[in-house]
Amino acid sequence: MRETFAPDLAPGELPLEQFPDESHFDVAVVGGGPNGLMTAAYLARAGLSTVVVERRHEIGGGLATEEVLFPGYYSNVHAVYHMMTDYMPLFADFDFAKHGLTFIKPNAQTASVFADGSSLLLCSQVEDTKDSIAKFSRKDAISFGKVMRTWRRIVDEVVAPATYLPPVPPLDMIEAFERTETGREALRLTEMSPVEIVDEIFTDDRVKMTILYAACMWGLDPTDTGLGFMVPLLVDRAVNKGICFGGSHKLAGALSREIHAAGGLIVDNAEVTGVIVEDGHAAGIEMFDGRRIMAKAVVSSLDPQTNFLRLIGRDHVDADLVSTAEDWEWDKWSFFTVSLALTEAPRYRADDPWVDKAVMTVLGFDSTDELLAHWAAVADGRLGPRLGGHATCETLYDPTLARMRSGSPHPWAEDPPERAGARHHVAFLQMHAPYDLDGDAQTGWKQRQEELVDATVETWARYAPNIAGATILRRTGETPLDIERRLPNMVRGSIKHGDYNPLQMGTFRPSDLCVAGRTPIEGFYLCGASTYPGGLVIGGPGYIAANTVAEDLGVEKWWSPPRHVARFAETYLS
Amino acid sequence: MDERFDFVIAGGGHNGSTLAAYLAKSGASVCVVEARPECAGGQENTEPSPGFRIDPHATYLYGGAAPAFEQLELARYGFRFVPYRSIFGFVTSAGAAVNMGSRWDQSIGEESLRAVMGDQTPFQGLGQLLQGEALRDFLRSMFWTAPYPADMDIEPSEVPWVQCLKKMFGDILPDNALDMSLVELLDMTVDYEPLKVAQSMAAWYCGAHPTWDGQALPSLAGSLLMGYTAGSPRGGMHAYAHSIIRCALAHGARIITNSEVEEIVVENGRAVGVRLGEASATPGRVIRADKAVISGVDVSQTFLSLVGRRHLDVGFAQRVSDVNFKGGSLYVASVACRELPRYHGNPEFFRDEVYPSCVVWPADSYENLYAQTEDVYSRKKVPELSPEICREHLSMMVCTHDVYDETRCPDGYRLLSPIYVQLPPTHYDVDGPEGANKVKAELTKAVLDLLADGAPNMTGDNIVDVWVNTPYDSEFRNAGMVAGNWYGARQSEDQWFSNRPLPELARYRTPIDGLYLCNHTSHPGGLCLMAVPYNLMHILIEDDLVSPGPWWYPSPWHVTDADRRLAEV
Repeated sequence: MRETFAPDLAPGELPLEQFPDESHFDVAVVGGGPNGLMTAAYLARAGLSTVVVERRHEIGGGLATEEVLFPGYYSNVHAVYHMMTDYMPLFADFDFAKHGLTFIKPNAQTASVFADGSSLLLCSQVEDTKDSIAKFSRKDAISFGKVMRTWRRIVDEVVAPATYLPPVPPLDMIEAFERTETGREALRLTEMSPVEIVDEIFTDDRVKMTILYAACMWGLDPTDTGLGFMVPLLVDRAVNKGICFGGSHKLAGALSREIHAAGGLIVDNAEVTGVIVEDGHAAGIEMFDGRRIMAKAVVSSLDPQTNFLRLIGRDHVDADLVSTAEDWEWDKWSFFTVSLALTEAPRYRADDPWVDKAVMTVLGFDSTDELLAHWAAVADGRLGPRLGGHATCETLYDPTLARMRSGSPHPWAEDPPERAGARHHVAFLQMHAPYDLDGDAQTGWKQRQEELVDATVETWARYAPNIAGATILRRTGETPLDIERRLPNMVRGSIKHGDYNPLQMGTFRPSDLCVAGRTPIEGFYLCGASTYPGGLVIGGPGYIAANTVAEDLGVEKWWSPPRHVARFAETYLS
Repeated sequence: MDERFDFVIAGGGHNGSTLAAYLAKSGASVCVVEARPECAGGQENTEPSPGFRIDPHATYLYGGAAPAFEQLELARYGFRFVPYRSIFGFVTSAGAAVNMGSRWDQSIGEESLRAVMGDQTPFQGLGQLLQGEALRDFLRSMFWTAPYPADMDIEPSEVPWVQCLKKMFGDILPDNALDMSLVELLDMTVDYEPLKVAQSMAAWYCGAHPTWDGQALPSLAGSLLMGYTAGSPRGGMHAYAHSIIRCALAHGARIITNSEVEEIVVENGRAVGVRLGEASATPGRVIRADKAVISGVDVSQTFLSLVGRRHLDVGFAQRVSDVNFKGGSLYVASVACRELPRYHGNPEFFRDEVYPSCVVWPADSYENLYAQTEDVYSRKKVPELSPEICREHLSMMVCTHDVYDETRCPDGYRLLSPIYVQLPPTHYDVDGPEGANKVKAELTKAVLDLLADGAPNMTGDNIVDVWVNTPYDSEFRNAGMVAGNWYGARQSEDQWFSNRPLPELARYRTPIDGLYLCNHTSHPGGLCLMAVPYNLMHILIEDDLVSPGPWWYPSPWHVTDADRRLAEV
């Protein structure tokens, strides 16, 4: 740690007052990402004095909308869209509209474009998806319609509501799911891998590739069994993406307004270096500058290693939990993202003009074999020569993210005059990428980052020929190292704070010693993406932790569970 | 001073005009503002050559079960009805010509089906079914009932129209009928493929496409609407519109035509009136509504053009712009000829006095239906117009009203109007909105060749004249037919009933205070049923904006926002 100038001042000698060396709150939340903010917003409104302590200069964690390209061009550097806006209790419990928060949920959701100019489009409206699939296979179109009815039931009755209740041990869960046909189908799928599920339903390989991409892009292993029930969720959610107008950071902003309105406090630029443990109880937190915040409940949204090995410390942690933390598996892959500032939105070489309106476009793969080979290479630490991933042009739906217009005074004067007045665009192409590229993160990414930016833009231009030349105003590439630097809890670029595999999901996330956010250390709670049900801004960990802390501190909950959660509890858990 | 009314209705199409009649009869002051010289929108007849009255859009009386006939006493305002002995038939390339008859003559249908299916005909007793009160109740519970509040928890089996349908069909309906498409339902109940294809085509032309999941019953209901009345207004659909408009006028409604509404005026978040556009006698004039502005315009133009994005949440505006207009974008031909098509096969079932007023040709196989569907909705373009491709990718509905209604064409002539072929919606056509117009002549030739293929007499001197509308032409004439689609928004499960056109708009209320929707993009869609205004009346009554006299009766299945209780059937 760097030496800082520290004059020897007696108390009261500073010319102005500052945040106290020791303060007292009911609840201290470590980490101002989506889950930490949610927990704090619920608890602050419940009347508990609540503080959120955030290491970065801005709250939001993965809800980050920043000028990484050039001033005036905003990119969502992590969470781009939200998949559970229709299920998150948060949106029913808080009136975010008053903070100007609104979601855009276009019908054209996930497109695939292929080398021969054919295209497939998954839409919110299932009949549009069937229409598109019918270009490849009539049979698959019909199958998609049928299977989505079953899958939507699985999502609506089981998986989505279970996201907002504490996890149930596996054997109890099996007993619960056996009660209904929908539950039994979810159990059957659980024993299948995503590849097996897709193979069972579809015949056309490009259809399979697209569905498989949607199912596995956020880290489900394509060939592992045990988490197959998540395929219905991830495919259904792939057609229910909501874009937060103004950038995903606006959700963090709305949460912070709720926290402050309820009397809570957010302290930023304040890395937490330890949890104060007294007589086996968490009594507060210590920050990097030595300031202490004492609290009845400390709620951490960080990763298991930071939580148990660094903040609490091995001495206070049960040996089983120490080994869970030590053996924690980080995400199986991270991401490499090339962002562009553009004079115009990508125009794809595709047989369907709707593709240009899709929230996300998958490109680079013509078959499941190519996709699986790509993922296998990534898992093996390699990237290329074939590149592929998913592209999004955020300004198609949210012009406020590019404040420049063609023809207005700005550093790039070459815009053609006929485009004067048209808004510029920001877009990105993101691909799965290894942390340890070619064996080592530092040397691998240092050596290949520039080459990979070039190759990514070339790949993109093969599908969208206008992504070339003067259309591109600025470009930047972000590696898994950059992800880790920006948000250190995304260790090794793990956007979900840890892999999705059967041993790290359900009651095992992060450990069956920590259920519903409670830990063996009294007064210490978990609410982050490494806690059940997981990451991707689904709002589960934060909501569950808020419920648990409210119960343990004996305050009345001002909220009640949403209808879908209550229905699930009644049918499956009573 | 701006002129003031209780209600101002933007758009005097079928739904706007009917609502005007309802409101005026309720004692409210009403003003309808219509852009075209005539009201009634798609409820229209034109006379492209003297004596030949064609149906460019709507063509059958689907709305026979409408309470409005009684409530508005349309008979007093000149409404007359022509029952058809045969409403529907189909012809196959293999030479089967089946005449399904109608509720007015069941014998021809049974005889004709027996000729191709033997004793396996599934529709024995269909005649009784079509005449029964149970069918009227079912139709009213589905079409003449406002959708329930979107956030009400309702088991599908509790939905009144499901209960009514069960009452009608008993145990024939499979338990999972609500999950099915019509094709699946037919596959379970009918063996003879041409009949399934004909029934599927009928469903497509009446509303929900037969392959749309979860829509088997609404799909079927569309053709039951047609079967329930089995006929048309004498003189065509516009004569029916005249009785509605005369009713409105007789009760004091003001109707201003040739005046387009440029803007729904919103002040402080509330719709307060309409502003007339350049193309009107008094451009810029504002007509104020003290109680409510009613938009008789489709949902898309209502919000994105007339209200304007500046008054809308961006997420809402996006969903409005994503309302899907795939559905019934029709190529419509009208053919004046000297004799009716003589299809090959079974001429005795197509005798003049029982000639089916609507014939599906060719009703051979699902292959053809799927190929058309994929051209229209998947590839979104007119197929290549070679004879071979046309044979595999096209089929048509040929309607002939003059068999039963002598007002339609001069003596000595016959009029095939309309002849329908499904085309891609203009907005989505990959060759641009005018994609079909670029090949209009070739398409017409292909359609006539295909017709002559089935009915060899439809050539040479027998054809006197041909008039054609593409979906683009329809939209051009009738701005409310967005994408050329006659029922506005696709009637798939995502856009039907409580989801139509969007869940938050399903009760006809809007995010703009004082603005209500009254157009076929709301439930239950098109077909000139007088249903949208009837359902909307319930909401206006709930909102205390109108109180009709003792002539009014609500739907027995209406759920109010206050008590949120379903009626028992």
